[in-house]
Amino acid sequence: MSSFWTAALTIAVKDMKIEWRTKTAFASAIVFAVLVLAVFYFARDPTAVGALDIAPGALWVTFTFAAMLGLNRAFLLESENRAMDGLLLAPIAPSAIFVGKFLGNLAFVGVVELVSLPLFILFYDLPIIRQLPALVGVIAMATIAFVAVGTLLSAMVVRTRFAELMLPILLLPFLIPPVVGAVQLTSRILSQRPLSDLAGWLKLLASFDIIFVILCFFLFEATLEE
Amino acid sequence: MKRVEPALKAQGVTRRYGHRVVLQDVSVEVSGGEFLMLVGHNGAGKTTLIRVLAGLLKPSAGTVQRSGATGMVAHSSMLYDALTARENLAFFGRLHGHNDPALIQRVLEQMGLAPHGDRRVATFSRGMVQRLSIGRALLPDPELLLLDEPLTGLDDTAAATIREVLHDLQQRGRAIVVATHQLAELVDLASTVGFLVGGRLAGLEPVAGRDGHSVMAHYRELAANV
Repeated sequence: MSSFWTAALTIAVKDMKIEWRTKTAFASAIVFAVLVLAVFYFARDPTAVGALDIAPGALWVTFTFAAMLGLNRAFLLESENRAMDGLLLAPIAPSAIFVGKFLGNLAFVGVVELVSLPLFILFYDLPIIRQLPALVGVIAMATIAFVAVGTLLSAMVVRTRFAELMLPILLLPFLIPPVVGAVQLTSRILSQRPLSDLAGWLKLLASFDIIFVILCFFLFEATLEE
Repeated sequence: MKRVEPALKAQGVTRRYGHRVVLQDVSVEVSGGEFLMLVGHNGAGKTTLIRVLAGLLKPSAGTVQRSGATGMVAHSSMLYDALTARENLAFFGRLHGHNDPALIQRVLEQMGLAPHGDRRVATFSRGMVQRLSIGRALLPDPELLLLDEPLTGLDDTAAATIREVLHDLQQRGRAIVVATHQLAELVDLASTVGFLVGGRLAGLEPVAGRDGHSVMAHYRELAANV
């Protein structure tokens, strides 16, 4: 394995190990996810609003904001004791740091989604076994998009005084396209609409993934300069 | 005869933050076995100079050349509190391309931390953190070691261990640059002293048997004349 991937995976594994040990962000994200799903569930009048009308929105509000808790933590970890300086002193490409943090964040958000998804299915009583692979695919695509942008912005704001407030302010506008796409696709998948109905939104999500992952990869080094 | 390249060569280094000039036209050269002690009041630019020399900050003007691996010890430990001492060293070791548990054990022993290798850094005293931080900096077997106030907040035993390590490195032909207020404790190791006044290198002189008091007295003279 090249030193680039060794470094990236080392950073990702380190982040996961620290999160596993402290469970700081994970516990908050899971509590938040359960709370949001429960609020949406109890706020709905089942006689007036169908589960399929509210479920896609509830799912993506849950995922997006729960993920933000983890993204916020990603670079705060590196600013404590200025560990980021230790990474920058190592003979590795700055983009390897981005890829490592991106993979670590992806794992974190993936686990949060893995725990929240069964709760979502349970709350909304959705018979979606057949649609599950498609739904998981959409979740993966949208997650890649907002974790890439979130990782870059998290690195940008970590040196500001109000990093935890700044991240949502900067990140949310970027999330509109992938989250709108994900909500639309989720809604169509849950309604069992034909594949042709999904093509447009899938293309948007795929384009967002490709463009933003590449853009964030190349822009990351600029965020490191003081 | 083959000319030996200096471990560190900085020429005309200037660093600005906006309009504020923190370092101005600083030039230093440090070869293997040489120990440069940087002296200056708070705000004289010592920390900025160390960060520029390490490559963590880009100079606004001038150049910095390092001939080999660089280790750095700063005010902050650059360590992860949630990981054990051994895990921290293993992590940074991997980033430097050294994935040898025997090396990690050797560094822990050298820093007197072998019995505490499997304890989390969060449980360490300030002296232990500082020793581990030096151990982290030694992992790549650096040609050049940069230290910013390495003895601050340490008791006599911890300070003696660090002095011993620095002496050993100097004997092994490593170049060392230390920014410090604690002249008395390091002046007998130093070969050269650099006087930083208001971001300028007001003097670069051999220590030549001077003690901490006379070095400081000379600094005050230089500061009064600038």
